[in-house]
Amino acid sequence: MRARRYLKPWIFGVAAGVMFVGADALLPISPPSAYAFCLSCHVRDLVTAIVNSVAHSRFPASEVGSRALMLTSPGVLIGALLAAWINGEIHPRRASRPVLYAVLGLLVMVLGITIFGCTTRIVLRAGYGEIYGIVALVGMFAGVAISTVFIKWRVKRGTRS
Amino acid sequence: MARQTGNAVVSGALLSLALLGIGLVTGWLAQRSRMCFVGGLRDWIMVRDTELLTGLFSFLATVWVLTSVLSLLGILHQGAPELGAAGRASGYRTGAPGGLVLARVGSAAAGPVAALINHFFLASLAGGFLIGVLSVIAGGCVMRQHVLLAQGDGDARFYLAGFYGGAIVYYLALERLLDWVYR
Repeated sequence: MRARRYLKPWIFGVAAGVMFVGADALLPISPPSAYAFCLSCHVRDLVTAIVNSVAHSRFPASEVGSRALMLTSPGVLIGALLAAWINGEIHPRRASRPVLYAVLGLLVMVLGITIFGCTTRIVLRAGYGEIYGIVALVGMFAGVAISTVFIKWRVKRGTRS
Repeated sequence: MARQTGNAVVSGALLSLALLGIGLVTGWLAQRSRMCFVGGLRDWIMVRDTELLTGLFSFLATVWVLTSVLSLLGILHQGAPELGAAGRASGYRTGAPGGLVLARVGSAAAGPVAALINHFFLASLAGGFLIGVLSVIAGGCVMRQHVLLAQGDGDARFYLAGFYGGAIVYYLALERLLDWVYR
């Protein structure tokens, strides 16, 4: 078995940043700005494109979504699957709390559509200098910080008693 | 100008393939680096581990520098509307300031700062907060859940099922309710 080589997260950050901004500059994905990568919005566009063509409904999507299939989310899945498969890191695990996770996914999607961004695109929009992206990033930092501090406090209290 | 000719040249199928490629490369890199956009701050608060946090801030810094340079050169198109003509929020625009925002905030402050504080401002703040809380409970951001599913995690499978279903639930049940946000 060959040695596993991990990538430093900062390399991911630089590579992804160059790729997303470069794609926005080179490819015609502009009608929404900062739209090279978003899992909420691209999944929204993909699902509405499929549903609209099957059920003849008229759910709104972004302008790019009407011109192309937004295959980013399946792409991420396939890319991660290839990387995990080649490096022998696929470890099937049974679901522990399916209902909780389904509700979490649903809520994150609804919130993501509402404020136009998954976690990744919030950071991307903040990097673009968009004021509401920065506001959402501040909110996200606050949410992560407060919930983590709460979990840490509860764990600490649990070990003491 | 170049963008309009590009629109004609790059067809929808090619654009779909390009987006698939962006996803593939991102998924590969994310799996190899265990990158997570909420895990950085969480790990730092929990155990003072800064590794994932460097990923988040290097991403933010790279995007900021590149968009600033490209929009100064006039290559990057900014401030385009978020939804298509059919969208309820068609008037809403993202990316308005257009790069170098920290340098421009001062000059913009004389303008309508109060106009920025609207329903969407509050929704962004609260929505970002809730996404942060929910992602900590789920143990990772949306991209990380994709990677976990690829690695065989059963919970991530249900997370992604809920995630895809959320788009339909939004338009069937919640769209009118959340219309307030864009007013």
